[in-house]
Amino acid sequence: MAIKVKRTPRPERPPLWKRLVLGELIEGLMVTLVHNFRALREPFTVQYPDEQLPLEPRYRGVPRLRSHPETGEELCISCHQCERICPDRCIHIEDEPHPSGRGKRPRVFTIDYERCCLCGLCVEACPTKPVTSIYMSHDFELARYRRDEFKADLRELYFGKDKVVYGRRS
Amino acid sequence: MQTFLEAFLVPAIQAVVVVLLMLLAVAYITLLERKVIAFMQVRIGPNRVGPRGLLQPIADVVKLLLKEDIVPAKADRFVFWLAPILVTMTAIAALAVIPWAGTDATLHVLGYEIRPVITDVNVGIIYVLSISSIGVFGIVLGGWASHSKYPLLGGLRSAAQMISYEVPLGLAIIGALMIAETASTVKIVEWQARHTWLFWLQPVGVLLFYIAGVAENNRAPFDLPEAESELVAGFHTEYSGMKFAFFFLGEYISMIVVSALVVTIYFGGWLPITFGLGYLVPAIPAALSGAWGGPGVHLAFGVFWFALKTFLVLYVYLWLRATFPRYRYDQLMEVGWKFMIPVSLAWILFTGVALLAFDALAA
Amino acid sequence: MFRTQELEINMGPQHPATHGVLRLLLTLDGETIVGMKPIIGYLHRGVEKLSETRTYPQIIPYTDRLDYVASFAENHSYVGAVEKLLGIDPPPRAKYLRVILAEFQRIASHLLWLATHALDIGAMTIFLYTFREREKILDLFEAYCGARLTYNAVRIGGMPFDLPDGWVDAAKRMLDEFPVRLQQYETLLTNNRIWRKRTEGIGVIDADTALAWGLTGPSLRGSGIDYDVRKHLPYEVYDELDFDVPVGERGDTYDRYLVRMEEMRQSRRIILQALENLPDGDVMTRVPKRIKAPAGAEAYFMTESPRGEMSVYLQADGSDKPYRVRFRSPSFNNLQALPVLSKGHMVADVIALIGTIDIVLGCVDR
Repeated sequence: MAIKVKRTPRPERPPLWKRLVLGELIEGLMVTLVHNFRALREPFTVQYPDEQLPLEPRYRGVPRLRSHPETGEELCISCHQCERICPDRCIHIEDEPHPSGRGKRPRVFTIDYERCCLCGLCVEACPTKPVTSIYMSHDFELARYRRDEFKADLRELYFGKDKVVYGRRS
Repeated sequence: MQTFLEAFLVPAIQAVVVVLLMLLAVAYITLLERKVIAFMQVRIGPNRVGPRGLLQPIADVVKLLLKEDIVPAKADRFVFWLAPILVTMTAIAALAVIPWAGTDATLHVLGYEIRPVITDVNVGIIYVLSISSIGVFGIVLGGWASHSKYPLLGGLRSAAQMISYEVPLGLAIIGALMIAETASTVKIVEWQARHTWLFWLQPVGVLLFYIAGVAENNRAPFDLPEAESELVAGFHTEYSGMKFAFFFLGEYISMIVVSALVVTIYFGGWLPITFGLGYLVPAIPAALSGAWGGPGVHLAFGVFWFALKTFLVLYVYLWLRATFPRYRYDQLMEVGWKFMIPVSLAWILFTGVALLAFDALAA
Repeated sequence: MFRTQELEINMGPQHPATHGVLRLLLTLDGETIVGMKPIIGYLHRGVEKLSETRTYPQIIPYTDRLDYVASFAENHSYVGAVEKLLGIDPPPRAKYLRVILAEFQRIASHLLWLATHALDIGAMTIFLYTFREREKILDLFEAYCGARLTYNAVRIGGMPFDLPDGWVDAAKRMLDEFPVRLQQYETLLTNNRIWRKRTEGIGVIDADTALAWGLTGPSLRGSGIDYDVRKHLPYEVYDELDFDVPVGERGDTYDRYLVRMEEMRQSRRIILQALENLPDGDVMTRVPKRIKAPAGAEAYFMTESPRGEMSVYLQADGSDKPYRVRFRSPSFNNLQALPVLSKGHMVADVIALIGTIDIVLGCVDR
């Protein structure tokens, strides 16, 4: 296939009269002026903590665990697939037998949010389809005050973190 | 015969009032700049401090006051301290000859005459030019005294730039002075009250003067001495706290001075905005300038029109900054010496010939 | 009595215009550059070595962090290499999706380039205008894969998801208004006398020198060589799509600017065609759960990333981890030409040149 080349010729300089009256500069000034008045009506800024943009359904926040949203049964079967696929090795699972006597369930399930890169591979690896036990939540506000607060245990993975109030520490 | 009080005390009080007003104006011009540029960039700009961010300048001032004042270890401490003061002082001094209302607005308080200009010297415009050229030293010395490489480069750039642009700045207004036959800031406005805005007679002059003024103030697109993407912050890289605030203050007051000069020389100073056509129907400018009231009304109207026009010229400063890329150092010199100076000389020649022709026709 | 001395000045690693943590050691005579030495490594994370300890799918998120403003292109190169290694052929719909997203990524990356390039030269408003458009593209990426910057959106054997509902319409809406926006940027820059003065004749590199220094991408095409991997070694479905390769005339900064602006238009054309021809079907082929490559197998795969030729070399040792991974990143090679480009120019031009070679330090240091 022949390669179609498009020469990008230099744009002609504007005609002399236009350059003399600073025509191209004024055109540029008009662009910013129009934006100036448009922005008075509808600025693009979103005042983040006060208003938030809607997140897409597939948004990848921090990974969390969940029970089945309808039946409420515990989904995780402690298969260690997510632990194995995790490129940052931030998931740590220890098993215990399930009380019902069938299968296993996690006794300890820790995700180290300090290392997690939010890639979502664990969700794809999770075998409890279609509702995966581990899922990417829509929570993206990750700031914590201490390093050890980043290690999310089972409780935090199921119920989320209490909202961190940013401010002066007492 | 003026008494000592009349010659000294009254201007001194006026000066204090003007300086205080200027400090306030500068504070709010910084807010204006941030807001206007934000709007041009479809943003909102500062809006967290006070309603709509109106208290932002106060927060800024408090921050600057409380900041640690760092002096680099090997800096020349005296010069380092002197430089920002020099910049601010010269900028403030230039305000002395700017008239903010007509002579009708002269107030009489306790028998003292308070004119709406601190001092009306007959070489007012030349005084401003000469004072502003002292301001260059502040920036050069500040860049040198920091004993640091980026400020040094910034200082050298500004030395070259400001000296080169002094020339077209001076040459550009000669045409206007030739027509008005005065170098007094008050008389030049009075001439425009009788005739028309000098802008209509000197369109090239005002353009040259304004461009040279922008360059003289180190404002975009000529902000090479502080070009933040090249020299970090140029001559004031090492400055912090109040010393930095003084550089800032000097720069913004110089902006006000240049805008006020443009308004005074070319756009009829305190006269109402009638686009210089007021002489056609004298009743309109008379009504708009508060001629129906006493000196107080006159003063209020004069200041209003003057401030409005100055604001519009200042807006163009911000507009340019938001729109254009920055020149390179050598290109700036090129524009100054190879374009601005020849054109302004040619414009002087043209004005002279036109004046002669006009006189010959009139005779 | 007097003597002159050259001034040595460190530009970076903490400098507003070095786009990250590049350090340039400049030797100046006045403001003219006598010598320049780029010093890199401030962002070295050892991704190549790290990859040797990770399985094939695990490496994909690492490639996100190479060229973090065009991570889709990096994902794509890496996955392409693995597919070549294993002889996997992704389904046609996945190929089309890859092309669509790769071209959106190119537009987003070029918009970021334009923003920073113009900002460095002093036109700061463009920065926010282009970010506004880039934001819309990032929204599309977010809708597709859930991330806005580090997408991790390509899988060995296809794509992880199909397009969500309404995505095609949103993409078309974005593309419809894009030419208007592009025209605004051009009004602000293309004919602006200051912009032309700052870019014309700056950093001229002729075709032979550009080839000798291994420049690729728009930096090379600006010098008039029509080398584009998408045309020369077509991958995915680029050979079915109709688009032009813009090349420049003189090889200066202004040419590279024009080339990139035109590339954005061409990318738009490609996306519109691809959306038109988008076939139905699966987006993923069957791949073994544990991906292993035979010992001694190797693969070299290149793609045209927004910055130039991004290629990945893989060598397998029979396990589920690669024996050696090598990323040939365009930023690294393009950066090497910076001293050549900057010879005899001034300090202010260095800024323009860093912008014009469009480096990303994550990609340089790896």
